[in-house]
Amino acid sequence: METSDKLTSLVSWILKIAVFLSIGLVTIGSIMMFIFNGADGYTISQIQSYNSKINLTSHAFSPVLIPSGLVALNPIAFISLGLWVLIFTPVTVLFSSLVDYIYTKNKLYVILTFIVLFNLFTAILIIPAFVKL
Amino acid sequence: MIDVGSLSEFLLIIFGGIIAGIIGSLTGLGGGSVLVPVLTLFYGVPIEYATGASLISTIATSAGSASTYTKKGIANIKIGVGLEVATTLGAIVGALTFALVVHANLQWILFLLFGIVILTSIIPTVKRGKYEFPEEKPADFTSRLFQLSGKYHDDRSKRDVKYTGVRWWLGEIIMFFAGVLSGLLGIGSGALKVLGMDWAMNLPMKVTTTTSNFMIGITAATGSSIYWYEGYIQFFLAAATAIGVLIGSRIGSAILLKVSNKEIRWIFFAILTFLGIDMIFRGITKSHYYYINPLTGFSVAIGFAAILILLLFIKMKLEEKANGNF
Repeated sequence: METSDKLTSLVSWILKIAVFLSIGLVTIGSIMMFIFNGADGYTISQIQSYNSKINLTSHAFSPVLIPSGLVALNPIAFISLGLWVLIFTPVTVLFSSLVDYIYTKNKLYVILTFIVLFNLFTAILIIPAFVKL
Repeated sequence: MIDVGSLSEFLLIIFGGIIAGIIGSLTGLGGGSVLVPVLTLFYGVPIEYATGASLISTIATSAGSASTYTKKGIANIKIGVGLEVATTLGAIVGALTFALVVHANLQWILFLLFGIVILTSIIPTVKRGKYEFPEEKPADFTSRLFQLSGKYHDDRSKRDVKYTGVRWWLGEIIMFFAGVLSGLLGIGSGALKVLGMDWAMNLPMKVTTTTSNFMIGITAATGSSIYWYEGYIQFFLAAATAIGVLIGSRIGSAILLKVSNKEIRWIFFAILTFLGIDMIFRGITKSHYYYINPLTGFSVAIGFAAILILLLFIKMKLEEKANGNF
């Protein structure tokens, strides 16, 4: 019981930090976007429009570009990082529960957590690489 | 020079997000169920971008509220993770189906399905208050194998509540469909999760709500990464809605703690009914099989919503009177 109590407080802590971090990054990125009147070579009205190039499938902002974008103070990189922090928050929760199940030798739940992580990583890494609709 | 037009649009979307967050948390259906209709019906946002933004806000609200619930130890992380096996798989199927539907230009199906899902979600959500502590059922083999027992401290009745879940397999099947709907429509599909955990697995309501809140984030994260690569996460919209819905859901849960009068919820259920019916009308119009004038659709939806909610309200009051409790 003790380890699972520790686990829940750890999970709660991770979630709280992640939400603050992510919304902070998104807010900073948005403010920058308005101050610079655009981002990534696009004007703000282009970013806002649903028909402009930046919002088309083939131009989805790749997460690989985030580090260089942050250095270049690209607002889209800040917003992207914030959104990816949000997407990855559940992954960290799963990892911390995995550690707990390994520690308590709960074999069945180690397997189940692995399956969930496998599904998540399939969605994040494998499907985008192979499925181009 | 700051682009005032874009800034006011951004702030307007944040405002819409706040409203969606408040209604979503007061009704227990989650921000997405309100956000997608608000964005598509009132802001003219194409449904593919509204769904993408909604998934992102769903993760934000889930993480935001789950941090409070898990701290109190009510959410059962073990049961949640076990059920995520099905919801994440469902979310992948749902998000891929979504991409196929959008590529085939069949967005009207999404409108129609969305409307139907909202309307059918209202009934179980209205009724759920009744069975807070389920009648105990004898443990089956899945209860022991998947370790479905737990306990939590109930603040209101000031006692420790022990519970044992049953029929894990049935829960998994229902959760798969909850995942599909989440990936397809960008919502948390709270109503199906209630069905899966309250009804199928016989877990207490508090455990269900809090566990499902924590699960929704994982499900939505799975779906949203596919949306990202397909280009449906529009930065302008996703940034504004994530901020708005998070603020809204905070306000909503603060109201929920203060308001003891549950009658106020009926107003919000009426709004949801209206949104559901209007989404169906919009879907029919977009299908080009039949044209419904937006204004006519709007008025009919309001009328329908008022009548339906009034009938449900009267029915519940009569039942309460018959049972003698208030």
